[in-house]
Amino acid sequence: MAAEAGDGKPQPGRRPRSRLIVRLGALLVAHSVLVSVVCCIAGSIAFLLLPVLAKNTYVSENALMPGSANPMFSSHDVVEANRFFKEILDRGSAKVTGTEIAKLIGQHVVDVGAELYYHKFHPHGNQFHPLHFFSSITNTMEMQYNSSCTLFGLNSVGIIRAPRGDGKEAIVLVTPYNSQNIGQSEALSLGLAFSIFSLLSRVTWLAKDIVWLAADSRYGEYTAVDSWLKDYHNPLFLSNSGKIGTGVCFEENILHLLDQLKVKGPRYNIFKRAGTMAAALVFKVIEKKEKEERDSLTIYAEASNGQMPNLDLINIVHYLAVHRQGLRVKIGSMQSLLKAAWLKFVGEMLQLFGKLTKHLNPKWKFDITSAEYVEGTATLASSIYYQALGVPTGSHGAFRDYQVDAITLELSPRFSLNNENNRSAFLLRGGRLIEGVIRSVNNLLEKFHQSFFLYFLTAPHKFVSVGVYMIPFALLLAPLPIVSAALFSGNDNLGVSTEKVNQEPGCIGSSDMELRSGSWKWLQAAKVVFMIHLWAIIVSLLPYVLSQFPLTTPITLLLVWAALSICILLIFYLIFGACSTHCGWELLKSVMIAAASTGLSLMSVINFSTAQIGAMLIVPMCLLVQPLRKQMQAGVCRKAVLVICNLTIAVVGFPPVALLIAKGVCEDFGKAGVGGFWELAQLLWSWNSATYLYLLWIHLPCWVLCLHILLYPCIGRSSEA
Amino acid sequence: MAGIRGYWTLAAAAIAFRLLLLLCFPKDLHLGSRPEVATPLTSLRRLAEGYWLKQASMSPYSGSMYHGSPLLLSFLGQLTIRRVEGRPPHFYCSLMFVVVDFITAILIRATGQKLLLSRHKSFQVLNLSKLVEASGTVNPGDFASLVYLWNPLTIVTCMGSSTSPVDNLMVVMAIYGACSRIAPLAAFGWVFATHLSLYPIILIVPVILLLGYGLDAPPSKLFLHKTSDASSSGALNQSPDKSGASKLTDNTIHTFSWVQVLHFVLWVFIWLCYVLLLSSISLKDVGGLSEMFRKTYGFILTVEDLSPNIGVLWYFFAEVFDFFRNFFLIVFHVNILFMILPLAIRLKHRSCFLAFVYIAISSMLKSYPSVGDSALYLGLLALFCNELADMHFSFFLFCGYIGVSLLSPVMHNLWIWRGTGNANFYFATGLAYACLQTVLVVESVSSMLKHDRMLRKLVKA
Repeated sequence: MAAEAGDGKPQPGRRPRSRLIVRLGALLVAHSVLVSVVCCIAGSIAFLLLPVLAKNTYVSENALMPGSANPMFSSHDVVEANRFFKEILDRGSAKVTGTEIAKLIGQHVVDVGAELYYHKFHPHGNQFHPLHFFSSITNTMEMQYNSSCTLFGLNSVGIIRAPRGDGKEAIVLVTPYNSQNIGQSEALSLGLAFSIFSLLSRVTWLAKDIVWLAADSRYGEYTAVDSWLKDYHNPLFLSNSGKIGTGVCFEENILHLLDQLKVKGPRYNIFKRAGTMAAALVFKVIEKKEKEERDSLTIYAEASNGQMPNLDLINIVHYLAVHRQGLRVKIGSMQSLLKAAWLKFVGEMLQLFGKLTKHLNPKWKFDITSAEYVEGTATLASSIYYQALGVPTGSHGAFRDYQVDAITLELSPRFSLNNENNRSAFLLRGGRLIEGVIRSVNNLLEKFHQSFFLYFLTAPHKFVSVGVYMIPFALLLAPLPIVSAALFSGNDNLGVSTEKVNQEPGCIGSSDMELRSGSWKWLQAAKVVFMIHLWAIIVSLLPYVLSQFPLTTPITLLLVWAALSICILLIFYLIFGACSTHCGWELLKSVMIAAASTGLSLMSVINFSTAQIGAMLIVPMCLLVQPLRKQMQAGVCRKAVLVICNLTIAVVGFPPVALLIAKGVCEDFGKAGVGGFWELAQLLWSWNSATYLYLLWIHLPCWVLCLHILLYPCIGRSSEA
Repeated sequence: MAGIRGYWTLAAAAIAFRLLLLLCFPKDLHLGSRPEVATPLTSLRRLAEGYWLKQASMSPYSGSMYHGSPLLLSFLGQLTIRRVEGRPPHFYCSLMFVVVDFITAILIRATGQKLLLSRHKSFQVLNLSKLVEASGTVNPGDFASLVYLWNPLTIVTCMGSSTSPVDNLMVVMAIYGACSRIAPLAAFGWVFATHLSLYPIILIVPVILLLGYGLDAPPSKLFLHKTSDASSSGALNQSPDKSGASKLTDNTIHTFSWVQVLHFVLWVFIWLCYVLLLSSISLKDVGGLSEMFRKTYGFILTVEDLSPNIGVLWYFFAEVFDFFRNFFLIVFHVNILFMILPLAIRLKHRSCFLAFVYIAISSMLKSYPSVGDSALYLGLLALFCNELADMHFSFFLFCGYIGVSLLSPVMHNLWIWRGTGNANFYFATGLAYACLQTVLVVESVSSMLKHDRMLRKLVKA
């Protein structure tokens, strides 16, 4: 925006002594084409270089001290885990009701002397709430419980009160399991969690309470964890419990349930709490098909809207897993990119370049092998993709909405779980890892704050921080205000020059008029841009209306949505179309670019990955767009290039097409159907992802305006002159 | 001359839009808790707390919750406790603020019409009627009042349960009273505005100038020049009281009319006594006037509350060492006072514009600014749309205001709710906002001076 200071009137003739900053701005504006080409190319190169610029992670918070104490998790605990595992499998195979396992967990939790309660929740369907992004968390309390009373899940929660703590802080362990159909791996993760829990109930060093949530993932892991967190953070007082309307069936059910559960002791339906959460670990055991040489650990960290947990949490897990337990740590990476030939080529070029620089100055650490580069890029791409989608990659995402740092750990054994020896060794490793992480978090004196919150991972031990990844984005965005100012001032100068020609001496009044219309003429263009954005907001709210109607197939819904949007756009054109042709296309483009750059910089604060991907599409589209009629006047070769560029970008820039391509690159072209868009949109808004808002409030209006400029009927005054 | 077509329709639509927002969003608009909208001085939630304390026969100022005037407490307090099921908590107060906004808009319109008339009169005297024809397309009064009513910042303030609409009304009332030379009204507006938010105290300079010299006009030197041309008897004739033409001139360049000003001072004295009397009655058993001064003006001047707002002082005083605090408090407040005299000398022929500049500067440098203040000065800025027609950077300022007003809530969300940002993120938007306001003031003043220069050139030509 600072560059836009130059959009005053760089009139070199009249005012030779202008301020330096204005002159610098004028210089940039005068060479806007060169500047934008250089900036865009530099931005793209810097973006490709991100895996090279990644740094090694380090544990930033000294209090964590990972691995400084000997693990207490012993073979005795492994035996306990095995026993619990077998008990669950026995109960699970009996398949009496869904509450059998909850009852078993409850008995064991009470036996180790911890507090226990059951949390009953109702699953809620997909609702339209993209606008909840800005509202504070307490509002989500008012969600409707219109599902019937018979649908419910039952979480079992155990709490260990810390012997050395004051009950103000807690660490949460989450193990999701499917109570209807429990598998071997889920049973093993419950067994592992229980053995850790029982160990923690005996240790003396605990300073934070431990909460173990055995989440009933019958209706999805996220739903279970999210509804528990919601109840944890929004205490329900008796005075307003009647208002919710589920009170009656809630009471009946819980009494019925407690009869079934038959756990001895005080009432187990009272919700208990344990202070603010310092961190949360979701862990589960997954048996993989392909066999590896080591037990492996996969970390999932992306929460809603591209939020990440503090990097220190990932660091300690990685440190303990690799250097203490000898596990293989993985994070998600994009498989299709791993085999891409062009990426390999870029990697080899970089390797060569690195060698060259090392030759010149051995101090420059710029060496990266081709394979490392390809792997880093694939990991980075998946990191960006999941952040941009704005949908959490696991139930840890629910914690981030309450500012709790959480990650999901997926442990997978090397061999089959049926072998008792292998299973014991695996349990020992997993148990020691989790115990170590808990012990580190237990040492924390304050919330996680030392390390980064805004970063991308290119490998489990490598990261790109916000200071680095903002550079390509800033370079990509920089041409927008400059070109906007250039178009604006070009139009301004033009007005002044034509006025000078037309002006007759003595006709003062008309000169005043001209001046005014010259200085405030952008208001017309701003009106057009505002109208298109208003249209986009209406379009983004249409699905809320549509989802009220009993239309079932996604394709019909999508078609109705599209038809309605086009109708509204046509109505807007009929009403306001008259004014849109008054201003030249240069001004319209200038205002459009200003709006797009504001939107992009706003989005980069909310969800950087979306803004980065969006900028790669929007910026070329905004910079290149020109009326087709004007392009026809240029030379043949230039004309062809311009028209082809414009049309390609206009097609690719359309949000559904862009999404289709993104999906095709990531997964498969075959899977994507027309109805898929509706499903994708539904996915985005039901997870209240800001990406939905970005697509419809910034990207779509920008694309419509670009089309409007492409098909601009009358050529602006500049081309006549 | 003709006003904007459909003015009343547009004004009614603005009112209807406010009512619609009030009725359609019973709970979702949490504007009252936004730091941009409600400051510790203007928050209605704090007022409700103060009212409750007073009902419990405690001092409304105990507990550092309420910092407003005791008159507002008895005026709005009753309304805060009335609740309607399914409506926002301060429904009646919001309705009240809609009415207040409308009155403010009407007063701005009347002021604009007075300004337009005086402009035409002075142009006629200067033989510049062509300029009049050219500029007759926009009626500043209608335009400014529509800008005020439809400004999103005004709407947000009106909906956001903050008392700034009342403060704005008082300021506009003072300016209107001074423009139409109703000394009691001007005194009433000035005294109450000062009582409510202290900073309008500097408006005494433009109000006295308006009452003394009359409305905005081209520099008086021009009139002298014209008359000296017209009389054409002596080259340096300084006493224009001969021909018929110069009589008209005589009406426009008044000498300073002390009678009006003395009248004003008298009324200020009367209203001041009245306000103090009412306040002391209101706080008779609880605290008293000294506590009121300490907790309202003292609170404003010593910047006690460092919770974030869109200004720049909270950040600075959170950082500064305690033993420098008093020094910097003086520096920051004298900053406003320093600008009074030079501006008054330079712009004394345009007192109404001077009032706008003072309001813009004080809303930039005040200790607890809110968007309600910008709503006021943006509305007043539109009064001078004819003079400022060729202002520079208008597009830049427009984009900047939109960008900052969108970015500021996002940064606040990032810092307070998501925990991934920090105070610097939010402060950066505050800084950008301050820069924008500076550019706005500098550009508007310089283009106003340029306008005067153009007039001089035309008259001399």
